[in-house]
Amino acid sequence: MTDGADWHRTSPFGALFYLGKVYQAIARNAVQSLAPLAAFLVAFKGDPMNRLLIGVGAFVIATVVLAFLNYWFFRYRLAENSILIRQGVLKKRQLDIKFERVQAVNTQQNLVYRLLGLVTVSFDTAGSSGQEGYLPAVRLQLARDLRDRIRRVPKEAIVEQRQVPPAAAVKPLIRLTFGDIIRIGLSSSRVFLLLVLIGPIGERVSQEFGDRIEESAVIEALGEVQVGLMAGTAFALVLIFGVLLLLLCISIIGAFLRYHRYELVADEDILRSTGGLLTRHEHSVNRTKVQSLHATQNVMLRVFGRFRVKARQASSGRGGRRSDFVVPLCTREKLADISDEIFGTEFSGLTLDPQSLAFVHVSPYFLRSRIVLAGILPALAALIALWPTAGAAALLVLLWIPLCALGVWRVYRRYGVMYGENGLALRSGFTGYRVVTWLHRKVQRISLTQSPFQRRKHLATVRVYLAAGPAVKIPFLDYDTAAKLRDYVLYRVESSRQAWH
Amino acid sequence: MFENAEIALDELPGTDRLEWRALDSRYVRRLQIEALITTAVIAFALLVLQFAPLPFQIRWPFVAAWVLAIAFGLSLLIWPLISVPGKGYAIRDKDIVYRSGVLWQSVTAVPFNRVQHVETSSTPLDRRFGEAALQLFTAGGSGGDLKIHGMPSDVAEKLREFILEKAGADIEHD
Repeated sequence: MTDGADWHRTSPFGALFYLGKVYQAIARNAVQSLAPLAAFLVAFKGDPMNRLLIGVGAFVIATVVLAFLNYWFFRYRLAENSILIRQGVLKKRQLDIKFERVQAVNTQQNLVYRLLGLVTVSFDTAGSSGQEGYLPAVRLQLARDLRDRIRRVPKEAIVEQRQVPPAAAVKPLIRLTFGDIIRIGLSSSRVFLLLVLIGPIGERVSQEFGDRIEESAVIEALGEVQVGLMAGTAFALVLIFGVLLLLLCISIIGAFLRYHRYELVADEDILRSTGGLLTRHEHSVNRTKVQSLHATQNVMLRVFGRFRVKARQASSGRGGRRSDFVVPLCTREKLADISDEIFGTEFSGLTLDPQSLAFVHVSPYFLRSRIVLAGILPALAALIALWPTAGAAALLVLLWIPLCALGVWRVYRRYGVMYGENGLALRSGFTGYRVVTWLHRKVQRISLTQSPFQRRKHLATVRVYLAAGPAVKIPFLDYDTAAKLRDYVLYRVESSRQAWH
Repeated sequence: MFENAEIALDELPGTDRLEWRALDSRYVRRLQIEALITTAVIAFALLVLQFAPLPFQIRWPFVAAWVLAIAFGLSLLIWPLISVPGKGYAIRDKDIVYRSGVLWQSVTAVPFNRVQHVETSSTPLDRRFGEAALQLFTAGGSGGDLKIHGMPSDVAEKLREFILEKAGADIEHD
């Protein structure tokens, strides 16, 4: 093949993409990259306003030029089974992305690109050494072609040629309504985390505010300190309520930005989601590459009777989160649709629904072990440590034991294992529910661990290592069950000739 | 031809009654020498802090520091005597099983057809004892890939080739 002939540049608007990247890089190493600017500002003599103007102007020009150079030196070529990318201004980089290694083709479309019919394509290549492939600002059609080609690569091995149904005929699996998106915003766990952090600050502010009012002459004249206190409390309540409302609004707006007109479509062996208000995100996942499926339900989602589903693909440790395929909200009925779509008939006998009666509790010795380890031992240690100073008041720490026991009881009730012929489901949780399921044949390795206590009671903890995410721990199984499970999983893995990824 | 025979759970090959192969017989000695080196380094550092003419004065309970250092050194010396006999591995046709742990005893099984790559490595001390560590990498970032220290280096090398041959075989890419 002759060089150069088939090499393409992307649309000049690709420079926009690099401009974003440049600013991202600058933000990440703020100190180093802004040092020259600061040095210039200090060294340059003259009117401070002029200085600032010239400095900012130079900064903008430099970044724009850099972005343009990045665009100029970016070329790609489509080969038979791979896409070749040449990039880099000073440090040249050659990337050869083999289609067979691509897990999914994702696209992003911001407002400008949407007007121009351009998209930025990113390739998920699991297991590679963190090399990411991007095609900034290419025509939408090219992205579609690429996706079709990438899907066809493994397909060629199969003789059977199926007719691809036209896109319009594909019925969406899930379509989020206006109300659904508000539910997503309301159930975002980030809101509540922030609230926990902000609570004490609000309290502090109200105290100081109350103090101020108490000091003020008006109150002194009235001689009513009570008013000050009440005003402080009211202020705190208003503040906390206001902050909560603001957070919820931000969260709902965020949900709209990300999931406006969200659609989940099952297209042969690919699940694809599109959505977003300004930037439209398109994510897809090849169902054969999914390693585990997670359904979670936090307190708010429980109120709404909805679930959040996440499909994990094989990842190379870092940045694994990014390749998760997320369905932000679905009903109980849709849980089964999603799991069937991803794991197919192999999923029979399993479910993502935490309310299922097929979940079996782990050994009740779990309670004893956890109450001793997390409750009694720390409480006794604290008692001994506090006794010399606090005296009998130190006995109060013993209250921790019943509290802890209640918590452990709750965790125990939520732990559940569901044994399927081809896979396993594990339920856990404390305030909400979490269900993770996987297929036995995708297991990478498995281990059994016994503590001294577990040895005495003939119990074991099983750890299952999948190609995605941390190991899944199934605590306190009966030893014989655990050993049988391990032997069965090993049998399924070792006799499976199907690719796990 | 595709077959799907019913599987009797009790007849599956178990991993309970395996013939465990112990680690290299000199592995305990090697760990102890490593412990001595570590202790010597700590002792030297303590000596320097205590007696060298430093520009600043350190007011430390040196007696306690020495007691701690010696206790630490002793435990490092004794620990291999307890932990190493419990370690062992078993090679089967389709997987490798490794057991370890004193209080928390664990048995890990890695099927060969899930191994991504195999590595042997040896420190200078390892080489002096003719030992090597064998490490098996499986997919996924869940850390702690199986690493077996203290194998005779020729065994480790042989195993590496054996496992590499089996790794990833038998998989049809659909």
